Amino acid sequence: MPGALEMSESLIGRSVNRHHFPEKLTGDAKYSADLIMPGMLHAAILRSPHPHANILSIDTSKAEKLAGVKAVITPFNIPSGRLAVDLFILDTRVRFVGDEVAAVAAVDPDIARKAIDLLDVRYEILPFILDPDEALSKDAIKIHENGNLAIPEPINLERGDIEKGLIEADEIFEDSYYIPAHSAAALEPRAALAYWDNGHLTIWKSTRGVHVERISLSNALKIPTENIRIVGPFLGGGFGNKDETRLGAISAVLAQKADRPVRLEYSREEEFVAGRTRHASYIDLKIGFKLDGTITAIHGVATLNSGAYQASTPQMSRRTGQCMLYLYSCPNVKYESYPAYTNCPTAGSYRALGAPQGHFALETLMDRVAEYLGIDPVEFRKKNHVKIEGQPGRRTSPDDQIIDSQPVEGGVPFSSNELGQCLVKGAEAFDWVNRRKSNGSNDESKKYGSGVAIMIYRGGPGYPTGAEVRVNKSGEITVICGLMDVGEGMTTVLSQMCAEVLGVEYADVSTLFGDTESTPDAPITSGSTATFSAGTAVIRASTIIKDSLLALAGTALESEISDLVLENGYISVKTDPDRRMTVKEVASLMTNDYISSISTVDPGSTEYIVNSFGAHFVNVEVDTYTGNVNILKYVAAHDSGVIINPQLSLNQVEGGISQMLGLALSEELVTDRNTGVTLNGSYLEHKCPTILDYPEIQVIFADSVDPVGPMGAKALGEVPSVGVGAAVANAVYDAIGIRFNSLPISPDKIIRALYT
Amino acid sequence: MNTSLSEYPSSSVNLIVNEQAHQLSVRDHWTLLDVLRDVLELTGSKRGCDRGECGSCTVLLDGVPVYSCQILALQSQGKTVITIEGLSQNGVMTALQQAFLDNDGGQCGYCTPGFVISSLALLRDNPNPTDKEICDALSGNICRCNAYGRIIESVRSASGRN
Repeated sequence: MPGALEMSESLIGRSVNRHHFPEKLTGDAKYSADLIMPGMLHAAILRSPHPHANILSIDTSKAEKLAGVKAVITPFNIPSGRLAVDLFILDTRVRFVGDEVAAVAAVDPDIARKAIDLLDVRYEILPFILDPDEALSKDAIKIHENGNLAIPEPINLERGDIEKGLIEADEIFEDSYYIPAHSAAALEPRAALAYWDNGHLTIWKSTRGVHVERISLSNALKIPTENIRIVGPFLGGGFGNKDETRLGAISAVLAQKADRPVRLEYSREEEFVAGRTRHASYIDLKIGFKLDGTITAIHGVATLNSGAYQASTPQMSRRTGQCMLYLYSCPNVKYESYPAYTNCPTAGSYRALGAPQGHFALETLMDRVAEYLGIDPVEFRKKNHVKIEGQPGRRTSPDDQIIDSQPVEGGVPFSSNELGQCLVKGAEAFDWVNRRKSNGSNDESKKYGSGVAIMIYRGGPGYPTGAEVRVNKSGEITVICGLMDVGEGMTTVLSQMCAEVLGVEYADVSTLFGDTESTPDAPITSGSTATFSAGTAVIRASTIIKDSLLALAGTALESEISDLVLENGYISVKTDPDRRMTVKEVASLMTNDYISSISTVDPGSTEYIVNSFGAHFVNVEVDTYTGNVNILKYVAAHDSGVIINPQLSLNQVEGGISQMLGLALSEELVTDRNTGVTLNGSYLEHKCPTILDYPEIQVIFADSVDPVGPMGAKALGEVPSVGVGAAVANAVYDAIGIRFNSLPISPDKIIRALYT
Repeated sequence: MNTSLSEYPSSSVNLIVNEQAHQLSVRDHWTLLDVLRDVLELTGSKRGCDRGECGSCTVLLDGVPVYSCQILALQSQGKTVITIEGLSQNGVMTALQQAFLDNDGGQCGYCTPGFVISSLALLRDNPNPTDKEICDALSGNICRCNAYGRIIESVRSASGRN
């Protein structure tokens, strides 16, 4: 709907203020841990001190006798249901240091914690494995009964003929890369409040998708979904990472047993250790190329550390390979993935899944290829990045199928692809041609360099998503959606879209989201799909509501519907604009209390692949005495289609880059090799960026209108985080001539590389 | 929460929170944050880490920004506490809060109360801070959405620099 952009009063492309931000600024906004119910108990969890063990018995008698304790649950006294394929509510096997063993509900947190100390557990200690290669070796102890491959089959995707591509190459570059686990570390530790009433369960919890969690809990607790209500209060940071844990189930079972409401809050350390981390990833990458700069083959093999449970490992495994299969025009590509269970903390979904890992390997090795060929890194990428026509080769998926997973075939164009524009505009803003090699001083200890990385991310089309738009007799408009606003601003954007269609002000639209009782079915907020998927549904539902309002107005104004126009809050007769009514006046004419439209969409396209793109440019100062890397300038150019809200989008890109500068330079969740203990489960030691680390960032959005996306928009949430590590690594190389094949590029690594 | 169960030593504490005087019976090991959130039900101050690292529990104690998770409730005896709930008057946000809203100085909002309180103290003592002074003053608050660029812009705007 590009025409919408030309309307002077359009809400699309306008920086309206973030929805619900006033409540957050005054302290009124309630997050899960802020909720209180009369008679509410407080829960605590006993966590395993062993990386791998069978639980033989748990003596609960002392804990149960403690005054104020109202429920104790262990794997031996609760239902044996599964929350996921490999995750029981509680299990008689523990698989990492911090795994859940038992839980207690008591009248206050002090007593709950004391009761935990009184539980007497007998363990049979088992050998443990922290390394994924070792886990996949033939004689390794099985961490789960079906073995240590964390997905049913290894992933093996190929387009063309990789062997042929390697033979055709004049040169082959190959290297091995490692990206460690790190934690999303959202400011809000996970929390849940569970309450039973007459066999009906209600849980308010930190979640990224209430409907999906309801199904999972229904399976685990063996009660019908209609007996469960899940509500997502405000969420204190998602990053794809909430929740995939036992949080909801444990609070539900405790509440059932105690017959009182139970609130369970993770501590900060629990959040780090027993939340979900990014997958530690080993990537072997091979690039075959001709001396004229043509790429003939790309072959990636990923060995991924899934930790103790599967969580989002299947999706993550595919994401890791997407850039290898798709970022550069290449007829012969292959991607293999071997995710393994280990006794490390569980890896799960964290912003862009495996894409940062894949891009780190691909974009640093491509930089070496460009350097070897003597081609400027930006020019090399301009020549070789995938263009709008997509990859060479033939389509293999059925013609009538929405291309919503990760296609490997060629011959399918992108709906839009402004990667070239990102490279040109970004390089210009960065002044790439005149990029600095020095700061002009004589300080020999400081070295300067610049790096570039490009990125691709399959976002937008997701799973079938429903949204409802409702207008009541008073003219109040509500967008109702089952997704969660995880902090990114989905509700703002959906309100803008609805207001745009209905010709009203943004402030006239309120939202209701994240409640299984009152919202239509929806998936989780993940994969950068909310604007695209829910947005498409909201536009459709709003359009139907608009037609209903026009019909009501047609009768009142004695006009044909086709002669009416809805804009600026009025419905008026085109030929006689003085004959008009406000939307409120029209709404008052309805016979029922409200009119409503629910639209469920299966988003995407059968003809196009919908992807978002970006190009990042970074200038660094490396202190060769301290090993510190200082980011002096960062330019990020993005193609995310039409930008619905520039201010929120700017914030999203800046935030994504800054967050991933943590992975690039400082963050890692460290597991002790001898004990399996997480050594740095705190902000101080995990080293998340602070405001002092925040660099100058310039954000550019490409002129791009996606023909498939709602109002021309594409995905944005995760894309900015994808190429940061690679861009920084390339800049550090430019500064000091050392290639780092692992992240973070921390001061100790730089000093070691410089002086040994 | 109540202080019953006699095995926990308890004391009486007087404090003024958002201009309201309270006399409270508290367990001696409870922090000011515990009392604000669990006794007074002022949940605007967040328990982001409970170990003095993230700043989402920042309040003004006799005018000084402190991590309320690092102060025992007993240490606030006789003192004045201002929390995020005490800023707006009759439902009208302060100019500082409005600057955060207008400049999108946050995303998920969990760190926001702490950033607002720290910024309030900064601008009271230094109405025209440089960017360096802004960042120094806010370096004890973590925003994991990393909305730092917009937070800096919000404080600049509130200081009248833009």
